[in-house]
Parts: sequence; structure tokens; C-alpha cells
Amino acid sequence: MRPAVQRVDWRPMEPDRVDDADLLRAHSAGDAHAFARLYDRYDRPCFQFIRRTLGGAHADAAEDLHQETWLAVSNNAAAFDARKASFPAWLFTIARHKVWDHFRRQKVAVLASVEDDAAMMVPDAGPTPLQQVESRELAQRLVAAVEALPLEQRGAFVMFAHAGLSLEEIARATGVAVETAKSRLRYARATLRRALAGERSAHV
Amino acid sequence: MSDHGAAPDPIDEAYVQAEARLSDEAARAARRERVLAALAREPATPAVAPAPAWRGPAWRRGGWLAAACVAGLSLFVASQVYEPLPRQPQTAARAPAAVVAVAPTPSVPTPAISNAPAPRPAIRGVAAAPEPPVRTEARTAPADAAKAETAAPQGPLPDMAPAAPPPPPPLAIAPVRRAFPAEPPAASSVGEIVVTGGRAEKATAANDVASGDARDETVTVTASRRSSAFAAPPAAALGRFAASPARPADQAARLRAAATAGRTAEVESLLHQGAPADAPDANGDTALIKSVQADHPAAAAALRRHGASLDHRNNAGESARDIAAAKGDAALDQAIGLGP
Repeated sequence: MRPAVQRVDWRPMEPDRVDDADLLRAHSAGDAHAFARLYDRYDRPCFQFIRRTLGGAHADAAEDLHQETWLAVSNNAAAFDARKASFPAWLFTIARHKVWDHFRRQKVAVLASVEDDAAMMVPDAGPTPLQQVESRELAQRLVAAVEALPLEQRGAFVMFAHAGLSLEEIARATGVAVETAKSRLRYARATLRRALAGERSAHV
Repeated sequence: MSDHGAAPDPIDEAYVQAEARLSDEAARAARRERVLAALAREPATPAVAPAPAWRGPAWRRGGWLAAACVAGLSLFVASQVYEPLPRQPQTAARAPAAVVAVAPTPSVPTPAISNAPAPRPAIRGVAAAPEPPVRTEARTAPADAAKAETAAPQGPLPDMAPAAPPPPPPLAIAPVRRAFPAEPPAASSVGEIVVTGGRAEKATAANDVASGDARDETVTVTASRRSSAFAAPPAAALGRFAASPARPADQAARLRAAATAGRTAEVESLLHQGAPADAPDANGDTALIKSVQADHPAAAAALRRHGASLDHRNNAGESARDIAAAKGDAALDQAIGLGP
């Protein structure tokens, strides 16, 4: 029986947490510190999303795309409408477009993911995934497994697991139905579990 | 940010821990400095949307439109006012009237200048019915016209015309009026196609009005004035020229260009001409994808009305539906049928 898992809140604890939209509005009004606060909230998941979506072959472009994403956020701050989407959904929409634009410029053919039902059949015994990433090497293997996921599954997984976006926000950011986002997340998890199970058997 | 509809999973936490274990705080700090420095170099973003950079006076913004209107009006007035000089007989070589006999021509020589009924197309095995009386007006060569008036309605016409072509018409204007018999001719007996200058048609129409003969019909193909040496082309060639369609690939490229530029009228026109709505370019982008990317709801709506697919994916895996959803533009969504 596994213990209940809580969502990891990667965001720094802010005693006086100001709404994202308010920070963006303050930035538009000329508050120099507002944008830095907003950046600090979402820098880590945004960069990891870009980095993992690019994969190992295009890792060098992650820094530039990350910077372009935040510049786009700054330049379009006045156009942000909190009634349409949350700030993280908007941010990841921009980040995702930057990555796709990069792929298009590099003429990378993005293949549609094949959601194989066999991926869902995963042995469920052994240590938990958390126990498996105790070592740096295994952490690297898990991250490599994430980078090996099909692109859309990878994006959905990173947005959900690391950025904490809801399925609705992921669907909004990727332009698909909520059920599609949910399905991508499910397949991604199953593939990762299978990859970890393979690693475990290889290390026994 | 709650996880609506999806429970947390141990693999999620494992991944976050793995990223935390692998994270490089020094690199992150350097990245932060770089991004914030780049933002500081950027010009300050105004709180409200900036006004267009170029805001000239209205008359300058519409200058091209006004110039085009003036030019069109001038052309129209000129075409109405312009009267050509009286045509001289020696101008015949400059703008000859070529008669393309689709049906076999009669052996009777075609009168050069005549408003008389042209020889009817031969109807095999049927004696030509007496032509109804048609008032003829020979304006420049009355003798020939009179000759034609007497020569045309003569007995049964031979089936096949002699091989020798008729002598070239000496005058530029040679409208051929085909007088309808009491019953319309059979569909197989096609009349003549006359290739002549544009003024000839007008002259013939005036003659019709003057003569009051409402049953006369002039079949005229207006040719360019530059093609003065235009010898009677074969009818098949004319038909091929008239019906030469643009290649579908060209049409598709033009459609995508028009959709990108938001030229809705051209999009509609090309679609009506049969341009393929979903033809992709080298990147897999269709006209609809391009119109959505470029924020042209009207062009996108036109494409959607002609069946363009929202779900066609380009090489990057994005469909028009995806891009529109990402943009979150209500007008665009409504134009392509995604909005309420």
C-alpha cells in the first residue's frame, strides 16, 4: 500500500502572495521588481519545460528560447487577459510556441505520438519511483526517460508534474481537449513507470 | 493550480525530485541575470496598446485607393468619349476580320462587307430554308453587300466547303449577322465565330437597333487590338485558349498566399475556381493554418465555408484548431466555428 502522494509545490513560499495578473499589470505600469518576482515564481518549471521538450539534441537552444519566452511575456504583458487563461497557462503557451518555432526553423519533423496500449501494462512491484531516484545516476535516467517520451506526452507530463498546471490549463496551453491532455499524461506516466521498471531489473 | 481530474502520481514526485537533484543553481542564477538584463535593455512596455507608429492623414492613407479610382474613372470616361477616326479601306490589313468557319463554309464566296445574312452553316442533306428577309445595310461597300444579299439565300448549300480559303476581307469591320430562321438551327450546326476589333461589335449593335431586326445575332469574339495580324485560328485552339485552367498547385499556392495576406475576396475567388482548400506547402501548412496564424478571421471563415479542415496538421504537428486555441482570439474562434 503506497502512501498518499501530495503534489509538490515547487513555488517559493511567499507570505504576501500577490496574484500573477497583478504582478504583470504592475510590470506594465513600470514596476521594475514586479517582473522579477513573477520570473522567480515560474523560472524553474518554464526552463525545465523548454529544456525537456527540446530534448538532448537541441539542449543548447534552451537558454535562448527561455529568454525569448520571458521577453515575449514582457512585451505582451498588456495583452494578457486573466479571464481567458491563468498566467501559467499563458506562459507555457508562449514557451511551447517558442519550442515549436525552433523545431520549424530547424526543420525537425515532429511525429505524432503513438499511444500504445501496451505501455499501460506495467509491473507494479518493487520500490517506489521516489526511492529509485535517490541516486544522481537514477535521477539522470528518469530525466532521460522523460526526454524520450513522445513530444506531446512529454510536454503534458512536465507541465503537470513540474509546473503544477491543471489538466484544463494544459489543454488550453496545447490547444487540445481536456481528455486528450489527460490521456497524454496517463500514457507518459505509464511509459515512465515501464522505463523505471526496466532500469530496476537492469540494476538488480 | 489544482489538478482537476488527475490525481498526483508517485512518478510525478520522482521526476520533480530528479530535476531538483540535477538542477544547477549557479546556472539558474546566471540565467536569471541574463534574462532580467535583457528585459532591462528592452524598451518599456506601455500599459496600453501603443498607437500605430505611422498615422498619416486620412487622405494619405487612402492615397492609393483614390489614385486607383481616378485612373479607373478616367479610363471609363475615355472609353465613352473616344470615337475612332473613320476607317479607311487601307486599314483592312491592320485589323482584319477573320472568319472562323466552324461548320463547312459554303462554296459561295463570302461577301467581304456585309450585314446581309451570312451563309448559314450547312445542314447535311437538308435544303436550306428560305431565309427570312433581313434588312441589310452595307455601309462601306454597297455593291458587295448587294451582291451578298442576292448570293446568300441560294438553294441548298453543299456539305463541304472547298479547300481554298475565302479571300481575305478587305475591311476591318465585318460583323456577321446570322439571321435566325423560323426554327433555330440544329445544335450541330454552329454558326461562325468572328474575330474582330472591339468597335465592330458596337457598330453591329447600332445597326441592329437601326434596322429594328431583333432576331439578328452577332457572335463576336473580341480580340486585342495588338493582334492585328491575327489570322483565323482553328476553333480548337480558341477553345483551348479560353478554357486553359490554372494548375491546381499554382492555385493552391495563390490560395495560401491570399490567406496569409488576408485577401478574403481572392480566397473566395480561388476557392470558387476550384483551388484545393487543404493543399499544404512544404511545411505542411494549409491556407487555413496560415490564415489562423496571421489572424485573418474573414479569410479563415471563407476557407471553412469551403470545407477546409481544422484538423490538418503541419510538419510541426500543429493544426489550425491548435493554433486558434492557443491564440485565444474569440473572433478567430468564432470565424472558424470553434467559438459560440
